[in-house]
Amino acid sequence: MVERATEVIPRIVYDHEDVLPKPEPETVKVRRPTLPPVDGPVRKAVRAFGELMITAGLVILLFVVYEVYITDLISAGKQDEATTALDDQWKDSNTVAPVDPQRQAQYDLIEGKAFAKMYVPVFGPDYKFSIVEGTTDKHLEVGPGHYVGTALPGNPGNFAVAGHRVGKGAPFNDLDLLSSCDAIVVETQTNWVVYRMLPTEGEEAGWTEGKAKNPKCAKVAPLKDKANPDNSAYAKTVGQEIVTPQQGEVISPVPHYSGELPAAQQVALMTLTTCHPRFSDKQRLIVHAVLTMSYPKAPGFLPPELKEQ
Amino acid sequence: MYGWIWRHLPGPRPVRLVEAFVLVAAIIALLMFVVFPWAEPLLPFNNVTTPS
Repeated sequence: MVERATEVIPRIVYDHEDVLPKPEPETVKVRRPTLPPVDGPVRKAVRAFGELMITAGLVILLFVVYEVYITDLISAGKQDEATTALDDQWKDSNTVAPVDPQRQAQYDLIEGKAFAKMYVPVFGPDYKFSIVEGTTDKHLEVGPGHYVGTALPGNPGNFAVAGHRVGKGAPFNDLDLLSSCDAIVVETQTNWVVYRMLPTEGEEAGWTEGKAKNPKCAKVAPLKDKANPDNSAYAKTVGQEIVTPQQGEVISPVPHYSGELPAAQQVALMTLTTCHPRFSDKQRLIVHAVLTMSYPKAPGFLPPELKEQ
Repeated sequence: MYGWIWRHLPGPRPVRLVEAFVLVAAIIALLMFVVFPWAEPLLPFNNVTTPS
């Protein structure tokens, strides 16, 4: 068997070598002289242009990779640092809920430093971000940022938070998927504060007959005054809206309201802002939520809202 | 451009391959850590705030 095989193989290889190599040198020799001059000016220019185009395309592709993945990595590191710093700060100080509710407002707000955590249970149990003070690019790279000067979690007024929708951890990536009555839980040093998204404009009309029956919606109702729906202070405050980038009134204490409303009459709102549509800054996607519950923090206690799906 | 760079890389082919690889890696790093972070705020993708 072995002897036969060695006899056959050399014969085949020999056959190929005999037939194939001969015509090849001839064709190569014929083609070479027909090549045009190696580097004419036109050839050079066309090639340079083509290479530039390819390079530009590669750079743009790399930018997409940077924007969508690399910034996520960088932000994840910064978010972790901020969370660790916040946890240390909370551990060091006394976390017993203060008797005087006014003390709740006395956070140490340092721009760029985290002061609260937010959870959106419908986005999954691992959806958790530390909210930093300030909304410049540098702050938002760390995580969702609290608009300086707006209300603090749990207080009357508008606790407004901005967050990226693409890259940089993209905390508000799925903000458009949030529906009315979904919980946004904010953890401060002393309290668990639960906000729920307000009814959207389309849902307001049939609210009491419709979604209000859902147990999640027990404390959620359209904010507008039923007796005077068009002129009440909260007439334009709905769960979700899309506005132009200049419409700063969405984060004012009473959104879209130009008059003055005493703080005692103000509702405790939370407003989330992000870019819209995704990958664009043409508009802003705004979500308004209303305070429904507040628990003092206690060891081993977690608000039941965190388990909602 | 690429041909010109290749011709000006010193050394035999395997060395040139390594040099070319290092060059590409250096350019990608420059883009990722210097150029893109600088250019990004100037581009209209990622503004998420409204004026307060």
